[in-house]
Amino acid sequence: MQHLIFLADQLSTFVGKAFAWLIGLLMVVVCVEVLKRYILNMPTAWVFDATSMLYGAAFMMCGAYALAQGAHVRGDFLYGSMRPRMQASLDLALYLLFFVPGILALVFAGWDYAADSWRIGERSNITAEGPPVYHFKTLIPIAGALVFTQGLAEILRCIVCLKIGRWPARLKDAEETDVVEQQLAASTHVDEDAKRQAIEGIEAIDEAAHHRIGKDRP
Amino acid sequence: MTDAALGLTMLGLIVVVIMLGFPTAFTLMGLGIMFGYVAFYDPSAPFFDNRVFDLMVERTYGAMTNDTLLSIPLFVLMGYVMERGALVDKMFYSIQLAFRRVPASLAVATLIVCTFWGIASGLVGAVVVLMGVIAMRPMLKAGYDVRLASGVITAGGTLGILIPPSVMIIVYAAVAGQSVVKLYASAMLPGFFLAFLYLLYIIGWALVDRKVAPPLPESELHTPVPGWVTGLAQRYSRNLLAALALAVARPVRAAGIEFDGAAIRYRTLLKNLLVALAPLLLTTATLAGIWWYVTIHRPASLAEANPPPRIEQPAPRVAVPPPAADEAPKELGSGAAEAETAPEPEQEQGLVGSMQPDAGAAAPADAGPPREFFTSFWVSVALCAALLAYYYWMLGAEQFVILKLLTGSVMPLGILTVLVLAVILFGITTATESAGVGAAGAFILALHAKTLNWSRVKEAMFLTAKTTAMVCWLFVGSALFSAVFALLGGQQLVEKWVLSLNLSPVQFMIVSQAIIFVLGWPLEWTEIIVIFVPIFLPLLKHFDIDPVLWGTLVFVNLQAAFLSPPVAMSAFYLKGVSPPHVTLNQIFSGMMPYMLIVILCMVIMYLWPGMTLWLPVYLYGG
Repeated sequence: MQHLIFLADQLSTFVGKAFAWLIGLLMVVVCVEVLKRYILNMPTAWVFDATSMLYGAAFMMCGAYALAQGAHVRGDFLYGSMRPRMQASLDLALYLLFFVPGILALVFAGWDYAADSWRIGERSNITAEGPPVYHFKTLIPIAGALVFTQGLAEILRCIVCLKIGRWPARLKDAEETDVVEQQLAASTHVDEDAKRQAIEGIEAIDEAAHHRIGKDRP
Repeated sequence: MTDAALGLTMLGLIVVVIMLGFPTAFTLMGLGIMFGYVAFYDPSAPFFDNRVFDLMVERTYGAMTNDTLLSIPLFVLMGYVMERGALVDKMFYSIQLAFRRVPASLAVATLIVCTFWGIASGLVGAVVVLMGVIAMRPMLKAGYDVRLASGVITAGGTLGILIPPSVMIIVYAAVAGQSVVKLYASAMLPGFFLAFLYLLYIIGWALVDRKVAPPLPESELHTPVPGWVTGLAQRYSRNLLAALALAVARPVRAAGIEFDGAAIRYRTLLKNLLVALAPLLLTTATLAGIWWYVTIHRPASLAEANPPPRIEQPAPRVAVPPPAADEAPKELGSGAAEAETAPEPEQEQGLVGSMQPDAGAAAPADAGPPREFFTSFWVSVALCAALLAYYYWMLGAEQFVILKLLTGSVMPLGILTVLVLAVILFGITTATESAGVGAAGAFILALHAKTLNWSRVKEAMFLTAKTTAMVCWLFVGSALFSAVFALLGGQQLVEKWVLSLNLSPVQFMIVSQAIIFVLGWPLEWTEIIVIFVPIFLPLLKHFDIDPVLWGTLVFVNLQAAFLSPPVAMSAFYLKGVSPPHVTLNQIFSGMMPYMLIVILCMVIMYLWPGMTLWLPVYLYGG
């Protein structure tokens, strides 16, 4: 079971990371267009469509990646103070109740939507002779299916957690709190002791803050 | 069960399920699809022919092609790169030195760094942890009151979500159908006003009660001055600006000075002269920019107030810009040249002297900016010139070293953010374009500072992808949810109910902000803006409240919510990195006053909407 979970994680992470680079590409496209439009005075007609496709593709295809990394926002106020088994049983129930029908509907509806678009060879109507959009629309069912697969892995995670009483590990990845380590490692005016303590403790601190647990609380 | 009752059930369920801690985006989708299915249910149609599927996919595609949300990944990327590129520790050190004579200097420096950092990034946790390590211990060591020290870090750390370019504002703009640019302009003054109120509070407290922030010992007030700087000062002049200028003019006498173990090179001298001139150049560039914007580019409000002259007299209108256009570059050059030799009197005279012809030329052309602009512009020019003159007069060796530290750590980040904001606000490019250029600029700065390597680039990219996916999937979910909610008539029911309460606009404002304040305790801003704000938005029209003003109040309000004990996350972050003797209760009692300051700021904003709305109205017209 662990193996299956990791397999799904790896798939989502791989696709997500690949599509994350579209954001870099988006940045380059925007910069080039700014140069062309404002300095060379020769705007490009299809840039608006291109940027929205880059952005739309990036965020849709990273949905599963965010799920695999637990990056989707959740109200962790009560959740954080529960025991893992309680969290897992709640999650399991809610995955089956909300996630499965919601995402299946997205895949199903997206499939029809994309198929219609392919059939008529739909093109963007923002400019005359706009670029084709059927590839772009096809991403909806694909992204939905990817999120669904990852959701199945999350369901398995809940089951594993119910069995063993703690959450199985996630893949290691870039975290927002990594910046603390990088900043402190390069700092010259902070005493070593405090630095080391903060770098080592950052994960626990992050978790405690999300769960609002202070050490000196009774 | 009637449809409207279903709608309210849906709203009730979403609150419960969010509290249970399920990822909100999927909760919204699930609830939306189920209730939507019921709403669209047609017994004669086959199971899969429900129109809720069309609604869902249309809403998804709508989010994928939403040109407001498009700027989110770019701004987020800019934030992550800046966060990795700028060294916050150096910033704190140099700002603290620059403000060493101010009461409670460490706390003031902390607040300034937090504000700057907040401009760059919108993350609360990382700022609080970093400042907790970098600033908390020095403050405690210097004998600062624990409440003062912890309050300033937690309050400063949450400023980032308010001060533009912030992602929260973009999301609100997408939800409310307002222009991002207008919202940025309106959040600008309140954001800095709030930071200013914090500053007043810190300095005021430190002045009233000297014990809370004892002055630093003399030994900590000095920074080592490198040998070559003292050498320069000895050989040429005690005023470093004069010394550098003379050294550039007559480098022979500098020959004996050692720099990094070798004889000092001419390029080094030139570079340092440039550093010394940085304040002058920045001031001139800012003033020239304002001049250019108001008199040549012209804001929308002026264009409206003074309709373009009739065809028979186009001459005066065209005649104004050229002298002004020549003015700016000349000022830059001549100002710099004057400052090199003897800064103060000539420069001031030169600037004030040049005032006459311009004001005279502008007056007959009725299309020009109002007279008051010229008066206030030249008054501020004179003021800046006087300040600069005083500064350069006092520029000793140590001052120069501090200036060098500041230009190395704060200036690049500052210039980039100011530029990004200025081009957005002045309406020169769209928010997306500025964000793209800003992100590229952040990369260049970080590369220049040599703080970026390949693994950090990857990290920033992946983090951006995750954050964007989180925000935008949430948006997809809420778009479906709110459509179904409106479809079931839940929205109408809420509206009817609120209207039947016969609230006055003030009462409605207070009630709505109070609800958001309470929601801010357990929830994150994403959920509040995306799920709950849309419920209030249609009501604003009934009460004749400007959605821009209301939205800005919400942004400020969330600051207060995130500072309210005992749920504020930043307190727990700070607790995690503080020495063990600092208790949570001390941190909370330090935060309390800031929460009250935020509420005071909201009251001022309400009583004086001009503070929020002046800038957007001035820039883009009413």
